[in-house]
Order: sequence, then structure tokens, then C-alpha cells
Amino acid sequence: MTKKQPVAQIRNVKKKIGKKEIIHGISLDVYPGEVFGFLGPNGAGKTTMIRMLVGLMKKSEGEILIQGFDIEKEFEEAIRHIGGIIENPEMYKYLTGYDNLVHYARMHPDKISEERVKEVVTLVGLEERINEKVQGYSLGMRQRLGVAQALLHSPSLLILDEPTNGLDPAGIREIRQYIRHIAHTEGLAVFVSSHLLSEMQLMCDRIGIIKEGRLVSVETVDDFVNSKSNAVFRFEVDRAEEVYQYMRGFIKEYDFKLINDKLEVTCERVEIPLLIETIVKAGFLIYSVSNHETTLEEKFLEMTEGN
Amino acid sequence: MSQLFRLIKNEHIKIYKRLGTWIMVGLLLGVILLVGMMTRFVFATDDSEEWRTQLITENQQFEESMNDHPAMMAGTQYVKQQIELNEYRLTHDLAPQVSDSLWGFMIDATTFSAVVSLFTIVIAAGIVANEFSTGTIKLLLIRPVSRARILLSKYVTTLLFALFMLLLLFSASYLIGLTLFGYSSAEIPYLAYRNGEVVEENMLLHIIRLLGFRSVDLIMVVTVAFTISTVFRSSSLAIGLSLFLMFTGPQIVQLLAQYDWVKYVLFANTDLQQYVNGTPLVEGMSLSFSITILCLYFIFLIMTSWAIFKRRDVAV
Repeated sequence: MTKKQPVAQIRNVKKKIGKKEIIHGISLDVYPGEVFGFLGPNGAGKTTMIRMLVGLMKKSEGEILIQGFDIEKEFEEAIRHIGGIIENPEMYKYLTGYDNLVHYARMHPDKISEERVKEVVTLVGLEERINEKVQGYSLGMRQRLGVAQALLHSPSLLILDEPTNGLDPAGIREIRQYIRHIAHTEGLAVFVSSHLLSEMQLMCDRIGIIKEGRLVSVETVDDFVNSKSNAVFRFEVDRAEEVYQYMRGFIKEYDFKLINDKLEVTCERVEIPLLIETIVKAGFLIYSVSNHETTLEEKFLEMTEGN
Repeated sequence: MSQLFRLIKNEHIKIYKRLGTWIMVGLLLGVILLVGMMTRFVFATDDSEEWRTQLITENQQFEESMNDHPAMMAGTQYVKQQIELNEYRLTHDLAPQVSDSLWGFMIDATTFSAVVSLFTIVIAAGIVANEFSTGTIKLLLIRPVSRARILLSKYVTTLLFALFMLLLLFSASYLIGLTLFGYSSAEIPYLAYRNGEVVEENMLLHIIRLLGFRSVDLIMVVTVAFTISTVFRSSSLAIGLSLFLMFTGPQIVQLLAQYDWVKYVLFANTDLQQYVNGTPLVEGMSLSFSITILCLYFIFLIMTSWAIFKRRDVAV
């Protein structure tokens, strides 16, 4: 996916509401065939960013290009490449699922055939209930109808804002597999937002972490997961304070910490025997060594909550 | 063009697939039928040759009052017209149209255009605001259609709904009148007073013109509701405020008629019939003046709706 033209280019986008700036200059690209996860705690500015991406909100500064078209200046050209669900998939409840889809199909300048409507219905597996009023749909069915509505015009960028909100585990799994499938087989760029890391980890190829209106990191999921191999080891020793002082002087490149009268160090597993040897040779006693891997969850919290 | 047509079709589906719309249609028909039955069975007038003696005594009373109170100049124009119309009826043997006749009932039924206004306000108030309150506005606005065009399709749909209701009112009052009172000859003319003399005009044309005059008021009130709906995204506010204006506006204008500036108020100008029969509200007002004022209000309302709808950040 390296040399492909990005589907969406976001350049230094800022948003002010009143005098308060809530998005402080976000830049990122989304490429065809990838699932990009937009991760951040509630209130970090995910939804505002997504609303600017689809032209529901005006940005105060910066540029958003979809397939090279400016979302504000060339709205109609840009938006036709986007399909999306923004927060909950709100449909016209007094219409049938099918009527809802036809309603949106009619809004597109290029004719969307009846076959295409039926095709997306089959795609999301709603054939049996599609002629019932949306009123009687479960949340999962509405979510699927939302996906159908977003795919109707074969967009090149699919935007899903918290797509698994309110779904049961089976539904989440289904949506996740489906999203990965369409991105990887049809070359769609998918932009998913969520506040749940565990979910993003399974669904996305790259993850951008947003915190208080700033993009604090963009990494591939692999990098993100692998970077945890530097685990934290905790040594239970006698005279911890002295051990701490000694080791700090002895091996300067490691970050030793003294926590709760225990010595903590972040390093690779292979280094541990050497550390043990060093401590023992210096005449200290070791009662135990334990491994405290930082989970992704902790890392994520660290990134989004810490300073 | 064809895209706008498809958008209008969408809006129509969204209106007519709702039960509430059909309840309003039913209420309109019900009211016409109810009043028709009351006119037929409760307030039936004695249909006889008595109208001659009635008109003669009416004219005598008019003449007396003119002689007794010459100071009441304001009414004299009207009284003179009435006397001449009555005399024309007597000499040409044209009975006045009573309420329990087809034409008389249809003329009375034109007042139900207020009901049409009421229901169209409900539609206008909801057509934008409901998309916001249900959240569907988000999916509606992320389509390759400009916001201006979406709003246009909604406004046109509102006006078409008003037209549909007016046509319904016209045809239902004709059919119900026909059933209850029997046929009236199309030959019976409407007597109008133009440039100092009595002229005969086609009755159906007269009824359509009455509805036409009432549509001016209808369009203005509905546009007010539509604007409030787009600006404040609240259908209840739009309904409340426009109904309040519709019912109190004309009265307030009457109360303030002594002030000259009243002529710039919207509701001083919505009744264009004031120039056809009778005197205008404020001296110096003319048909072209009122049309200018109406156009200015209209342009202001439409521009406000469009400007705000196009710029708005959607955060529902």
C-alpha cells in the first residue's frame, strides 16, 4: 500500500467553536485497501474530525481532499466518493429498509440501479427483513442497514463512526470481519473511529491516536503491538534503595525506577540474567523477579491520559 | 433538473408515508362535510320567492341609515354598492346565493383555507426540523447534492402540499355541495362591482379567485413557518409561532391601523382583497405597494433560511 495515492488527505485541519480551538491541526492520509483506526477517548475530537471529513461541519483552517477534491469547495465531487455512518445509523423509521435505501439511491446523480440496491442488501444479509419498517429493526439490523446505505454508491472511502456501538459480541465480530473483507478485497479505504483499543487492534491496519484535538501518534497495528516487547521487570530485593543507586551508576542506559520498595526496569527479556548476575555479585539478595508487561490498553491510556 | 425532481419525490414519500399526514387530510374532509351537513339540516333557509321582499326591505334600511347618519362616510361606499347590487338582482331576477346552495356553500367553504394553512404549517414546520430531531439530516447531507438544492426540494414540496390541500378543498366542497344541495346552474353569475357599475362574472372563476387571494396569506405564513423550522430546527417553535402570528397578526394590525407605519407590517398586506372590495387598511396603500412589501418579506425569509441552512454546522 506504500506508493498508492491516498484517498483522503487531511492537512493541518483546525476547528474553532467560538473562541475555543478544539482540533489543533491534524494531518493524516488514508490509503486505498487499508482500515485506518481513529482512536481516542470520548471528547478527544473524533466526531468533530469526522464531521469535517464529510462536510457536515466547516473546518476553520486547513484542507481536506477526497480523491483530490476539496470537501468544501468541490463538495459534490468529493462527497460522491464517500459513504458513511455518522454516529448512530438513524433511518426513517416509518419507511421500510428498502425504501430507505431507495431514498438515498435517488439522491445520487448517476443512476443507482435496483440491482445494486438488492446487491448491497444481500451483502449485509438483510434480505429477509428488508421490506419491513425500520421501526421494528434491532440495533444490529439498523447498523447493517447503515452499512448498506454507505456502500450503495460504491464509494472509495468508507467512514464509520463508532460502528460497533451497542452491538453484541457476535455483531461486533461480524462487522469487524466484514470491514476487513471489503477493505482488503475491494481496495476500499475504511476510516473507523472508536474509543475501544481492543476493537481497533483486531480491525485496523493502522491506528491514529487522537488526544485533546491533537494526533499524538500514527502507527501500524503491528508496530503498535510489537513495541510492547520491552517489558517491565520488577525485582524484589533487600535494601532496595541501595540496589537502585548501585544499578543506576552501573548500567546507565537503562531506566531504573524505585517503586514500592521494589526495583523496576524496562528492558528486553534476554538482558535479565545479566542484571540478576550483576545484582547478586554486588552482594544484594534477590527474592523474586517478575515480569509486568504493559498491555496495549495501558499503553493507550498512557498516551491519551498522561502528559 | 431531474435530480431536483427526484429529491422532491423523496420528500413527498416522506410526507405521505406518515399517518399524521392522512389524519390531516381526513380532518379537512371531515370539517367540510360536517359544515355541509349542518348547513343542510340545521340552518336550512326557506327557499322561496321571499328573497325579493328581503332585498327590498334591506335597501330601504340602507337608505334610511344613510339619511339618518350622513356622518358615517366610511360605510357609505359599501352601502351604495350593496344598494346597487340588490337593485341589479331585482331587475334581472337573480336570487342571491344562499349558503345551502352549491355555489353558496363553495363560497363559504373557501374560508376553510385557514385549515389548509394550519396543516401546511405543520408540514412546513417539520420538513427540516424533523430531520434534525431524528438525526437523519446527517445521512441526508452526505450525498452529492448541494444543501441549497435539498432545501429547495423541501420548500417546493411544502408548497405542493398546500396546493394539494387547496385542490382537495375545492373539489371536496364541490362534491359535498353537489350531494347535499343539488346542482346550481353554471349560468348563475357572480355579481361584482367594478368601476362604479355592477358586472356579471363567472361563478367558478370567482370561487377560484377567492382561494387565490387566500393563498397569498397561506404562502406567507407557511414561509414563515419554514424559515423558523430551518433557523431554529424546532418544529414545535415553528408551529407555535406561525399559528400565533396567523391568528393574532390581522387583529393586531387592525388595532394599530391608526398608525401609518402599520402598512409595513406583513399582515397589513396579506389580504389583497382589501383592494378589490372595500377600503385599504391604511390610507395610501395600494395593490402594488402591498405586492412590493410581500415580495420584500418573502425574499428576506427565503434568504435567511437558505443562508443559515447552507452554513450550519450539523452537530446532532
